Amino acid sequence: MSTLVDDLLNQTRTAEQAKYTSKDFQSDQDVRWCPGCGDYSILAQTQRVMPDLGIPKHKVVFVSGIGCSSRFPYYMDTYGFHSIHGRATAIASGIKMARPDLSVWVVTGDGDGMSIGGNHLIHLLRRNLNIKVLLFNNQIYGLTKGQYSPTSELGKVTKSTPYGSIDYPFNPASLALGASSTFVARTMDRDPKHLQAILKRAADHRGTAFVEVYQNCNVFNDGAFFQFTEKESKDDNVVFLEDGKPLVFGKERDKGIRLNGFSPEVVSLKDGKWSVNDLLVHNEKDTTLSFILADMTYKPSLPRPVGIFLAINRPTYEEEMTRQISFAKEKRGEGDMSKLLNSGETWVIN
Amino acid sequence: MKANSEISLMKGNEALAEAALRAGMQAYFGYPITPQSEILEYLAVHGTKRGAVILQAESELAAINMVYGAAGAGARVMISSSSPGISLMQEGISYMASAEIPFLIVNVQRGGPGLGTIQPSQGDYFQATKGGGHGDYRLIVLAPASVQEMADFVFDGFRLAEKYRVGTMILADGALGQMMEKVVQPPMGSLPLAEKPWATAGKPPSRERNILTSLFIQPEKMEEVNLKLQRKYREIQSEVRYEAIQVEDADIILVAFGLAARISQKALELARHKGIRVGLVRPITLYPFPSAILSQIALSAEAFLVVEMNAGQMLEDVELAVRGEKPVHFKGRMGGMLPSPEEVLREIESIAAVHAANSELIS
Repeated sequence: MSTLVDDLLNQTRTAEQAKYTSKDFQSDQDVRWCPGCGDYSILAQTQRVMPDLGIPKHKVVFVSGIGCSSRFPYYMDTYGFHSIHGRATAIASGIKMARPDLSVWVVTGDGDGMSIGGNHLIHLLRRNLNIKVLLFNNQIYGLTKGQYSPTSELGKVTKSTPYGSIDYPFNPASLALGASSTFVARTMDRDPKHLQAILKRAADHRGTAFVEVYQNCNVFNDGAFFQFTEKESKDDNVVFLEDGKPLVFGKERDKGIRLNGFSPEVVSLKDGKWSVNDLLVHNEKDTTLSFILADMTYKPSLPRPVGIFLAINRPTYEEEMTRQISFAKEKRGEGDMSKLLNSGETWVIN
Repeated sequence: MKANSEISLMKGNEALAEAALRAGMQAYFGYPITPQSEILEYLAVHGTKRGAVILQAESELAAINMVYGAAGAGARVMISSSSPGISLMQEGISYMASAEIPFLIVNVQRGGPGLGTIQPSQGDYFQATKGGGHGDYRLIVLAPASVQEMADFVFDGFRLAEKYRVGTMILADGALGQMMEKVVQPPMGSLPLAEKPWATAGKPPSRERNILTSLFIQPEKMEEVNLKLQRKYREIQSEVRYEAIQVEDADIILVAFGLAARISQKALELARHKGIRVGLVRPITLYPFPSAILSQIALSAEAFLVVEMNAGQMLEDVELAVRGEKPVHFKGRMGGMLPSPEEVLREIESIAAVHAANSELIS
């Protein structure tokens, strides 16, 4: 069923199919992150992907909260909103409900989105507004110069945890799934191709798309993800999730993940005991499977899952909202404010 | 850590944190924000090993409510932040005022409104002294003007909070937090812990159980609670503190607190050097406000000049105290900018010139 919201979005996409290059999305601002920061790559890949989406620049808005990642809107030549710590998701919700025709992107971090913004984030995800959320995860507070964050690992020594963190870290993917997100993915700053592909899929998803991006903070938490991002160790420590394909990994592509009951385990494909046919096959539409895959995240015996955990369809909030407004009008007639004010018990005072 | 009575060179934030440990602070909750993160960081290193609970919460909202819990259970608790973070805490502060929970809160101010800047400001005077959250309540507000006072006022803050069962705020600014000065730390453990029979720390058979709440649905009861709070705030008026410098013969009285008072004191010296008789009143308690001394000086002085790092907030309290007896002028800079002593001097000179012209007309 085509709703008003779909029509608006389709108009946005088709009416002005501008021919852009990535340069068109670069603003005139000097990009000010520390030299070597992973944010540069995420910015560049986003600017590369935007022209492919066919959305005119003046229909795009980037919303951020507070943190290093939140400088992002300054650097995109689109509309931008550098807002309040943790509140970007709520502010983006307001934008999307007032202007469903806009393509709304939230840029947040593990501090902004997982600490004070955690509440707003989970409510955006369950409402399923058509908003894209990019969570740059560097497992540290960079802007305030190196305190532990809600994704910092146990035992992490930082300026505010000199004896090691005793707070168990969030797993953003599991949190998003638990909040009934319809699209949950993980990608990495140092894998530009994968990052671009995930951004494109997120943009095409109808509903809230939650993308966790592993991002290296080379000043306060250098190398936090190197075992997953660097050439020498990546193949043995990461399993890329591909829809409809078995979970194979390793330098020699000789290892895989099979389910033992509900528990994933690593099996060797070399010794003849297991074959590719025994392996877990990824299905982006399977919510139960998505939980199992996301739960692999902090298990040291398992490779880190990277890719799309879940991509399902559920009506968006703005569709439901538009439908409800139409329904109310149909049932009760078009509202008339002066009639309403003069109805019921009213008096004329002479 | 330095031994008792030894002079050390410390940042304001660190001096305050060290003083909190010496004052027997048992728990601290915070969240990183510039320019006060050093308080959290110093306490994380030095507090943990000295047995205090030091926790970086997930937000200022969580932190202030952890204070509510810990202080409600009878612990001596401190929290610190900078302006945007203090705004986030207002809900908890209002609830604690109603529930009569003693706690010490530190605001190392930065320029606002909104996210503003990380540079020093005094833009939170209204919020600190007039309530901040909802309802009729007050905090005792202490305004340090040196690193030494950053340390000393921690003791005063805990003492006053526990004496009156109120929140006490140390209203500093980014410059005081970041600058280094010599400081003599008060001796360890010189502030004994008082009995807190109201705390929710287990029910002995000797009394009824304690319930801390700020909810009083019946308006008669709510008014009673309010009247009790107001009685307490009247009693607190006796705690007023200020510093008066060269006011006896002064024609022009500068009124400034915190960092602005230090700038004003330099301007005072420059003006005196030029033969202009200038004095300075530095309110140390911003609530209770030293109105009486200003009312009294208004009888002898010719004019007032209020100097603040804001658009004129304490100015209103000075005007109330002076009651139109004498003109009250204002010099302020905002958004993280500081007035220079020379700027203040120029203001003094133009007031002096107008005053001289008026005197000639009269004579």
